[in-house]
Amino acid sequence: MGPLVPVMHQLTRLVVLLFMVTTLLFFMLRLAGDPALVLAGNDATPEQLEAIRAQYGLDKPLVIQYLNYMGNLVQGDFGKSLASGEPAMGKVLTMLPATLLIAGLAMAFSIIVAIPLGAWLGFKPERADRRSVSGIIFVFQGVPGFVTALIFIQIFAVNLRWLPSLGMEWGTIMEWAITESFSIPIPVPSKTWILPAASLSWFLMPSLTRVVAANTAEAMREDYIRTARAGGAPASTLLWRHALPNALLGAAALIGTQFAFLMGGAVITETIFAWPGIGWLLIESTQTLDFPVVQSLALCIATLVFSVNALTDLSFQFLDPRLRTKGN
Amino acid sequence: MVKPVVRIDDLRLEFLSQAGAFEALKGISLEIGEGEIVGVVGESGSGKSVTAMNLLQLLPRTKINVPTGTISVLEHDVRAMDEKQLQHIRGGEVSMIFQEPMTALNPVLRVKDQIDDVILRHKDVTPEEAEEMSLKLLADTKITDPRRVYESFPHELSGGMRQRVMIAMAFSCSPKLIVADEPTTALDVTVQAQILALLKERAQTTGTSVLLITHDLAVVAQLCDRVYVMYKGEFVEKGATKDVIGDPQHVYTRALLNSLPEGKAPKSRLATVAAAMIEGNTGDVIDEPIEQVTRVARTGDTILQIQNAVVRYPKEYNLFGRPITFHTAVDHVSVEIKEGETLALVGESGCGKTSLANAVVGLNRLADGEILYRGKNILDHDPETRREIQIVFQDPQSSLDPRWPVWRIMTEPLTVGKSPTKAELRDQAASLCEMVGLEPNQIDRLPHEFSGGQRQRIAVGRALSVRPKLLVLDEPTSALDVSVQAQILNLLLDLQDEHGLTYLFISHDVAVVRHIADKVAVMYQSKVVEAGDSEQVLTAPTHEYTRTLMNAVPSLKRAFAA
Repeated sequence: MGPLVPVMHQLTRLVVLLFMVTTLLFFMLRLAGDPALVLAGNDATPEQLEAIRAQYGLDKPLVIQYLNYMGNLVQGDFGKSLASGEPAMGKVLTMLPATLLIAGLAMAFSIIVAIPLGAWLGFKPERADRRSVSGIIFVFQGVPGFVTALIFIQIFAVNLRWLPSLGMEWGTIMEWAITESFSIPIPVPSKTWILPAASLSWFLMPSLTRVVAANTAEAMREDYIRTARAGGAPASTLLWRHALPNALLGAAALIGTQFAFLMGGAVITETIFAWPGIGWLLIESTQTLDFPVVQSLALCIATLVFSVNALTDLSFQFLDPRLRTKGN
Repeated sequence: MVKPVVRIDDLRLEFLSQAGAFEALKGISLEIGEGEIVGVVGESGSGKSVTAMNLLQLLPRTKINVPTGTISVLEHDVRAMDEKQLQHIRGGEVSMIFQEPMTALNPVLRVKDQIDDVILRHKDVTPEEAEEMSLKLLADTKITDPRRVYESFPHELSGGMRQRVMIAMAFSCSPKLIVADEPTTALDVTVQAQILALLKERAQTTGTSVLLITHDLAVVAQLCDRVYVMYKGEFVEKGATKDVIGDPQHVYTRALLNSLPEGKAPKSRLATVAAAMIEGNTGDVIDEPIEQVTRVARTGDTILQIQNAVVRYPKEYNLFGRPITFHTAVDHVSVEIKEGETLALVGESGCGKTSLANAVVGLNRLADGEILYRGKNILDHDPETRREIQIVFQDPQSSLDPRWPVWRIMTEPLTVGKSPTKAELRDQAASLCEMVGLEPNQIDRLPHEFSGGQRQRIAVGRALSVRPKLLVLDEPTSALDVSVQAQILNLLLDLQDEHGLTYLFISHDVAVVRHIADKVAVMYQSKVVEAGDSEQVLTAPTHEYTRTLMNAVPSLKRAFAA
């Protein structure tokens, strides 16, 4: 088996997946409404409608429209936005970085907190202090993300006026002058990032913490922990060197699914914080039945989620030597 | 006696739980001298592993209560030591070897890290020196390519290799004492023989004392100078191995020895501990003689013919999920069984015996060859006839649905294609219970309410429910204690007598096979290497592998002859 076979495998799966997503979406969106009506406006005459249908090819049978659409897709033409006339995929790609930024920040923060916290909880889960912390985390998990977001806005933006409640700015770059001719650029994050990232990670952290804690507790009951103890290993070695690396396998799987959730779930947070990302775009283009944009969004999200899943699979092989291919 | 390395005095130990305290050790005393190899032998639940774990205080201190007793290890009072002091002793002056080499090493760390860690923790050496020492230790355990093993992850090594790594680790800091808890139980017999020899050789060259915990009297006989026999948290007998095994005083020890098939007449009834201990375990109860029966030999026509059977498992797949390479588990095997006979397939793990058994009951498809039942391909028979072949699996713990009551488990085969009433099924289950030696009023209980031996009786009852002619028994006693094994072997032989059953008996245990089987087929690397009458094959083996296998089996007789 050549080294490229797994890669080919994944690529084949991606192509099949994208084909199914686009096909399904094409027919579902056609059921949702007539794009000619959207384009022409409310008081268009039947003649104007006919003209628009002819212009966009909407008068042809649905199967022909589908084949045309797929033909264009294969050539990299995702259509033009019905609302603005810009290329649909271009519109999506300009919005994507904002979403990725906030998702990345939220996940990074959640991981940084959840792994040590989960390890601490799982090491001796029967202790009273761990039990009460677990209880609190359990309550957090029950609070929906948008509720936390609204509470954060009330406290930090409305009452304390520390942070902006909506909008998005890219960070600035500060030049740190070492000598007169040499300076290091330091990116300064914008204050607008804090609330959206915090409320998202507030939502991600509890489940991740609980998975790390449960897996650590399980790993601590394994035979190899007993072996390590019998070899005189102190508690810290047992936890950080022996139990945690085994516990992270389950956490990696969850992080993969959480990312998929963030891409779709971005809709809620981005609406609350008026964050100009793909979630926001998705709402807008669905409301106006801007099919090419919705289609491009779906393709983009599907590809991202798929790639992250593939990366998660790869990370398993990194974390668990038993999954690495034999023969080297 | 030389200065004791370990001295336990009147140790009592209780496990605390919400249900109350459970007394695991009832005042045990034990002594191990310098350079001595001492065995503790007992069945599951006797408290032998608790004794071992407690020596290094590895049981969680909050979950146990020790009302009386002292443990002195190398003149340290370990019960008074704190975790820090104990860490210094663990892996240093005293080290342990555990049973399950598959799980006892950390799967995500290389062997090198796991051995080097122990050395660096206890010795004042540089990492380079630790590496050199580790390689030397691995070479000492007769590993031919220490460098490769040192760089490997545990899953890349065989069970025997991993246990060598454990032994290397245990000897890494020149300990005074090694506690080995069932070190060879999970291994194949040929590997077990090598590991036991290795353990003995290493202990003798380094002058290390060994406390060996085992359920296997033959292993004790082969290795130990002295032995303690443990039963329900007490040492019921102790002494020099020769005396205890050659002339046992306590009724439990006698029952344990009598329950071993080794040295008994083939197909005779074996003693069971339950029968011996019913009067209490005072030690002066006279053993009940075992009621013997004459077994009828009824050999009829050929009932099952396996001809050139091949079983393959896919190993690698292509892009479209089609298998492209195969592992051949059964390679052109031909055997046949006559009605009323027992044919044993004997071999070590991975030799293909279970794959073949599964093919007989239709759980595996043959890639080539055929299996004939009463002269006709098994797949061409109607379902009614195919039902005459039933199977009993190895582990009754996992092969019974934990949420089903016994009557449903036992009568499930009767409901295939038919719809008998619940009352009929319950009646059937009650009479099946009687047949396999369970109380008929236990049919509403769940599997976890029974002991391992009773669960295996349930599994046998389930197989018997459709009145089969041929039973495939896949290692039916390997997961059981020896005295329970004796009960099941007695039951199987009685059932065969009564109902004229034919058995295809799968086992790795030569003593059991000699006891129960008329014919034997020895499997090695997917092929049958030798077959014939069991007496003949097992006393005068002609194939090289059969001889190796026979010599590797720990035997009481051979241990004393040496």
